[in-house]
Amino acid sequence: MRAVILAIVLAFGVSAANAHEMTPTYPTLVPSHVDGLLKATMQMFNRRADVEYYEVGVFDENFEPVPFVTAYNIFKLDYQSHTSFDIYIRASDRDRAAYICSRSKIRKGSEIRTAVSSKICSKIKK
Amino acid sequence: MFKNKTIRNIATLALGASLTAITFANAEQIPITGTVQSKCIIQVDQPGVFGNPNAYTLTTASADGGRTASTRVDVTLADSYYVTFTHPDSFSSSPSLPDVVTWTGTTQVSTVSDATGMGTYETSKIVNGSQTRYDMTATGSTWFETEVTASLGGSRAFPGGTYTAMVEAECIAK
Repeated sequence: MRAVILAIVLAFGVSAANAHEMTPTYPTLVPSHVDGLLKATMQMFNRRADVEYYEVGVFDENFEPVPFVTAYNIFKLDYQSHTSFDIYIRASDRDRAAYICSRSKIRKGSEIRTAVSSKICSKIKK
Repeated sequence: MFKNKTIRNIATLALGASLTAITFANAEQIPITGTVQSKCIIQVDQPGVFGNPNAYTLTTASADGGRTASTRVDVTLADSYYVTFTHPDSFSSSPSLPDVVTWTGTTQVSTVSDATGMGTYETSKIVNGSQTRYDMTATGSTWFETEVTASLGGSRAFPGGTYTAMVEAECIAK
């Protein structure tokens, strides 16, 4: 029993150090304070010790970019930090916009020989 | 007289102390709130390392002195995500190379937390060029290993220096 608990603790303890998560999985576009713009609010949590910066983007079903506005397309998110950000898209792009994605950005000077770039895409609720 | 006063003082103190205790018993309650929602988490367990079995090959294969990149994906909602791994087709940083590099790579499931629900992940995966896609039909954790090999054209030697390549792990909501 002790061994099982230790294994679980080790599994979570070791892997929890390098995780990228973004919620909600199915965000909803709601009217914003600006006419003709819709807004979705996203949350992110950085548990990747090797990543400080993330890039966000909005894409259609074929992963072609859809115009959007947010405070910073690439933003700094410290290790073990949460952030919440708003994505604004034109109401006319409502049907076209399908995914909101965040991607980890790894520094060019990283010493890691094969780094893993993580990308999470939430699907906009229609 | 003196004795009665002392008793009265002790009683007063005791009453005060008990009132204080009541006050502490009703101390502020600190709320802890949270929301449980579906999500996909990509966890990089171990970045890969290139081995250099001969002058013109860099590989993460452990048999050749490398280390495969290991990624764990946690899914909390069944049948709601695809996970795609894309092995690199270029170095993100390297010394200047004298020839074209040929890339090969594979991704496979190494461990699953639910052998019944995830047992078919490996056989059902779809490989398209450098991409390998898995349909995450069950909740739980899945560990993936990505092996990458880069061969320099004309069997020419890789110049000395640091080489970095990027494996991309994507979790896409269905």
